Amino acid sequence: MKAYIFRKLIALPLILVGVSILVFIALRALPGEPARIMAGPEATQEAVDLVTIRLGLDRSLLEQYLTFAGNAIRGDFGDSLRSRLPVIQEIAERVPYTLTLALTAYLLAISIGVPAGMIGAIYHNRWPDYVVMIIAIMGASFANFWLALMAMNFFSVQLGWLPLLGANSWQSYILPSITLAVLPTAVIARMTRSSMIEVLGQDYVRTARAKGLQVRSIYWSHALRNAVIPIVTIVGLNFGSLIGGAVVTETVFNWPGIGRLMVDSVRFRDYPVIQGVTLVAVFGVVLMNFLAEMLIAFLNPRIRFD
Amino acid sequence: MNLKLKNRGWLVGGALLASLLASTAVMADTLTVMQIEGPRSMDPGDQSATYTNALLGPMYQGLLIRGSDLKLQPALATEWSVDESGLEWTFKLREGVVFHDGTPFNADAVVYNFERHLNTERGLAASGRIRTFLSKIEKLDDFTVKFTLKSPYPAFLAILTSNSGQQVSPTADAAGNLGAAAVGTGPYRMAEYNSGEYVLQEKFADYWGDKAAGEDEIKWTWSAETSVLNMALQTGDADIINPVPPVFAAQIEANPDLKLSVSDGSAVFWVSLNTENDALSDVRVRQALNFATDKVGLVQAIMSGYGSPANSPLPSVAPGFDPSLNPYPLDLEKAKALLAEAGYADGFTMSVVVQEPEARIGEVLQAMWQQIGVTLDVRRMESGVWSDAAFGDQAKKSAEGTDSVMASWSSGVNGADLQLRPLYHSSSFSPGSANLGFYKSEELDALLDKAAATIDEDARNAIYVDAQKLITEDAPHVLLYVTKDLVATRANVEGVWTIPGGQIRVETATKN
Repeated sequence: MKAYIFRKLIALPLILVGVSILVFIALRALPGEPARIMAGPEATQEAVDLVTIRLGLDRSLLEQYLTFAGNAIRGDFGDSLRSRLPVIQEIAERVPYTLTLALTAYLLAISIGVPAGMIGAIYHNRWPDYVVMIIAIMGASFANFWLALMAMNFFSVQLGWLPLLGANSWQSYILPSITLAVLPTAVIARMTRSSMIEVLGQDYVRTARAKGLQVRSIYWSHALRNAVIPIVTIVGLNFGSLIGGAVVTETVFNWPGIGRLMVDSVRFRDYPVIQGVTLVAVFGVVLMNFLAEMLIAFLNPRIRFD
Repeated sequence: MNLKLKNRGWLVGGALLASLLASTAVMADTLTVMQIEGPRSMDPGDQSATYTNALLGPMYQGLLIRGSDLKLQPALATEWSVDESGLEWTFKLREGVVFHDGTPFNADAVVYNFERHLNTERGLAASGRIRTFLSKIEKLDDFTVKFTLKSPYPAFLAILTSNSGQQVSPTADAAGNLGAAAVGTGPYRMAEYNSGEYVLQEKFADYWGDKAAGEDEIKWTWSAETSVLNMALQTGDADIINPVPPVFAAQIEANPDLKLSVSDGSAVFWVSLNTENDALSDVRVRQALNFATDKVGLVQAIMSGYGSPANSPLPSVAPGFDPSLNPYPLDLEKAKALLAEAGYADGFTMSVVVQEPEARIGEVLQAMWQQIGVTLDVRRMESGVWSDAAFGDQAKKSAEGTDSVMASWSSGVNGADLQLRPLYHSSSFSPGSANLGFYKSEELDALLDKAAATIDEDARNAIYVDAQKLITEDAPHVLLYVTKDLVATRANVEGVWTIPGGQIRVETATKN
């Protein structure tokens, strides 16, 4: 187990270096230069070239990367081309907003998705199962973006119940976190259902029933405990797609998190910020996957990493 | 402020308690403006974006300012004169002006401001234009400066009102953080810049002009989603939104709580035809495409009617615009005849590169041109990718098969030269500038050069009338339409106006 954790901890920096190289090259391969965007379409090529030189983007890729990597190790991702603030400060201000939004959405997703999936499994192939599954398929299919706009129009503009934009009060969390929770709720509900169906068919459950245990106790303590492992896996592995969803949700709701920062920065080709946000997001995803694996090992005595 | 307090019910009776509890900050009246894009810099000279210029407007000033009647007025300069050659301009500066950081405004500050643009090592994003015409700037005394131009430049005074002419505090610029913290001489100073969310501006106590005009604070926010702008205006999260997408215009007009203001804009939309392409090198083919384009229909389909068909390469707000031109009314028969004459009776296939948000224009044109047998291959692209393709040189465009580019150009009210030279002069071939179809006419080059050297405005405008005729005749572009500037406010907001091209001015706006 210790060896396993050690290996993971060694892998993390390697993953970060790999990702940083990929992002670095991909960004610069992307058409659209920051200098052209800053100088505007009416600028002459000479003016654009001078801006390019000032930004240091005329240097070789390797030179640029080494400078970036050298500074990044010391926690310095450079300054934003747009706000001229240190990237690390820009990110640090926003990470809490994204984390609280993502965690709220996850809590919602788990507390709705798990019971819904259990209902599906318990009433397998009967109408409550169909209802749960139809809703789950719809939830997994709707575009996040569209849902967000519909919810805003209905609850904020038409009814005036909830704030439209920003993160100013606890009410501000309601619409964005629900929107963001829709997809993981659907995924968790489906995973819970299939894993419960499998467990409920096993011998020990039949034994539990036969010896007259309370139904509630069978479902919640006996079956769910064994069904929970795939659920934890899916929750851990879906953190990345949750962050992906946050990009869209934050943009629509003017949520001051790293997702919106990312979108604004891509539009502007703000290389330092895009690099910084990507690394932070990758770090978060890798960390979440790692924690999920640890949790699985803890929950299932049969799994041991050696 | 007094007037506003009178109108507020909550000051009466028991609600007095609430006002006692409330801090003065809560009582400050804030005008909230929401635009489609966030600020690109807090340094006006290091960006070139309309919406950033609008946001920086209340904080910075130039030697001259454009008034709401669109005429040039004194601002940081009180008077100016030009010598006979049209090359030496002398400006008397306003005395008693300070920057927000306390730095005095004087001749040294003005010289510093223009020299930073002339300094190629600085590489500021908005310096390009100033470097094309300004030779040097000198201090004559503490409040007098002299500019020497390389050649007469009709747009000189207009440039002084634009982003590169805005005066920044030399102290703040030298300290190197102007990009993150604005320091100008305007009636508002920067209070907070939360780069993800908003810019808050508050009244500058030592402002030289009318300190009473406008609200206590202006808060700028942004969203790239046009439907979000529209919703924010409806809920009151925004007092002003800029721009208003034409599809929402009717809805806003029908709402008594909201006001829509429509003014003539300056962005001319066109398709630049690559004259190196076999078919498009023939002027008859280019004219045929113009005849086959239903501009009125386009304005309806794309702009919900909020635009004017482009009858000239200039927008109606440009000095020298000729309203009498109408060279290409919709005429499919004539278009077909011209194509047949050019040897393309069966039509041909061509490509156009368009930015994602403008893809629908491409689709509408595709349908229109199909009627004369021209098959349009619409290549939709993200804006950065598009910019790369659109500004390619001859070899790149030929390799990528880029036969035409859809784009728009807006030179505001700064003069015809800034519209016609970059788009049609033979020295402006892309990627250097924006002659995207490599159109070359020695006659037009001569007209544009002559106009630029003509100081007398009427004589200059007469030359531009000839230039407009020549361009429309040669048809290097298929001219589409000129936008209207649409801005919407809550019904209680007064005093917002727009510089043609979409830059709103809000520093004297009030909420009643």
